[in-house]
Amino acid sequence: MPERAAAQPSLYSAESADPPALNGGRCRACGYVFFPPQSYGCESCGAPPQHLEPVTLAGRGTLHSFATVHLHQAKGIEAPFTVGVILLDDGPAIRSILTSRTDEGLRAGDRMISTMVPQGRDDQGREVVELRFQKAASDQG
Amino acid sequence: MTRTLIDLRPVYVVGIGLHRYQRLSDTTYVELGLTAVREALADARIPWSEVQSAYTGTALVGMAASRPMLRHLGATGIPMAQVENASASGSTAFRQACLEVASGICDLALAVGVDKPAPVAMAPGKTNLRDLTGARVVPFTHFALLANDYMNRNHVTAEQIAMVAVKNNRNGANNPYAQRQKAVTLDEVMAGPAISGALTRLQCCPVGEGAAAAIVASDDAIARLGIDRNRAVRVIASVTRTERVYREAKNFDAELTGETVAQAYREAGISARDLDVIELHDAFTIEELLYLEAMGLCAPGEGARMIESGAADIGGQCAVSASGGLLAMGHPIGPTGVGQIAEITRQLRGEAGVRQHPNARIGMAHMVGVGAVCVVHILRHD
Ligand SMILES: [Zn+2]
Repeated sequence: MPERAAAQPSLYSAESADPPALNGGRCRACGYVFFPPQSYGCESCGAPPQHLEPVTLAGRGTLHSFATVHLHQAKGIEAPFTVGVILLDDGPAIRSILTSRTDEGLRAGDRMISTMVPQGRDDQGREVVELRFQKAASDQG
Repeated sequence: MTRTLIDLRPVYVVGIGLHRYQRLSDTTYVELGLTAVREALADARIPWSEVQSAYTGTALVGMAASRPMLRHLGATGIPMAQVENASASGSTAFRQACLEVASGICDLALAVGVDKPAPVAMAPGKTNLRDLTGARVVPFTHFALLANDYMNRNHVTAEQIAMVAVKNNRNGANNPYAQRQKAVTLDEVMAGPAISGALTRLQCCPVGEGAAAAIVASDDAIARLGIDRNRAVRVIASVTRTERVYREAKNFDAELTGETVAQAYREAGISARDLDVIELHDAFTIEELLYLEAMGLCAPGEGARMIESGAADIGGQCAVSASGGLLAMGHPIGPTGVGQIAEITRQLRGEAGVRQHPNARIGMAHMVGVGAVCVVHILRHD
């Protein structure tokens, strides 16, 4: 089996089942669920790190809003690409790059699922994959 | 027991000055800042030697900005400090100057904002917290996402949002301190280039260099120095808040502004109806609509229609961004919040010339900054 590496290993695992899940966090003191994961302290109630636990957030949600970026000055980032705000079924609202370069066919309220997109290879020859979101097929949502 | 600004001794803006906002040039930050401060001193008709404390709002110039600039007015030995609060750096410097005078610690204080575009280390990037989009979401895309949501929820078109840029550039065309001094048509705004989502270039503020200064004084200083009372504008509220955890999918920028402005209205004893002029954080067109609604100037979802109706024009219900706002006057970061105070003071004095909003008596300045912070001041001319 070819080895894969996650572009952002703190946020998701390259070997996550389909659709890939996200690494979130949860506060045992107040129940607040958050993304990205952190172990500094709870933003909602102030509970210290020992009350925070990792939680897996399913890669499913609803499209809240989206924007196609036409111009980007940073090196290695090729425009256009489309960013979406997705309300995860498991709670948090997140921003993700979408698989479609443009917003054609997207509507607020669309069901979305995560998927891994190959991003080339790292220096150890592993395929680097990035978690993105796409519109769910009608039987996937 | 805590007290609000209006419970302390009165504090007034008595001098304002600016260096035009412009594209990055060879002008040093020292020259930019001194131009604004000298103009403010001349406006107040007082010498530098009377200023007892100075705050410099700056985010990009670097460590220790104040004295290397202000010593050229005469090294009088007064306390000086830099205030960095992202886009609200100048607003926060002004707040510190007001609090120092209102508390009685000094009688006459300066707030000066100065900046030049430069690479800057951003602390949020050092938290080791990552998100899925990384460097691919910059402020214009954050606001493009809010614009998309706004259009979806309120059945508003991209053209209606772009009307904000038409109004603010029309105002900026009459402001000699503005970076963009050219009226534009809706077609010109829409023609692009497209930047992100519905936002085109003219719907994004220019970030250049500049400076702005405001001198605040107590009644004692006004009497002692023979400052013209008719041109003194009282600061009746100074409120700043930071973002809380809001319900998911809510718009935290608007929530934070709504909370901060509500507290400022309470402290000043006014309501949205009482405002004659507003300078707000219109770094992107969509922000003006979101904030007008959060400020209670119109019902939720009615911001675009308020702009279309002319109610936010000079001469309308309330002149919004009469200076041209961040969209036309520009957003050089440190100066921006102090420049808002200068515009409101000019308007309330009745000295705004062709930009004058008739019978302006109460004005509000509003800035937000990355982090997220919000700073609001309410000024009144009695
Ligand atoms: Zn908690």
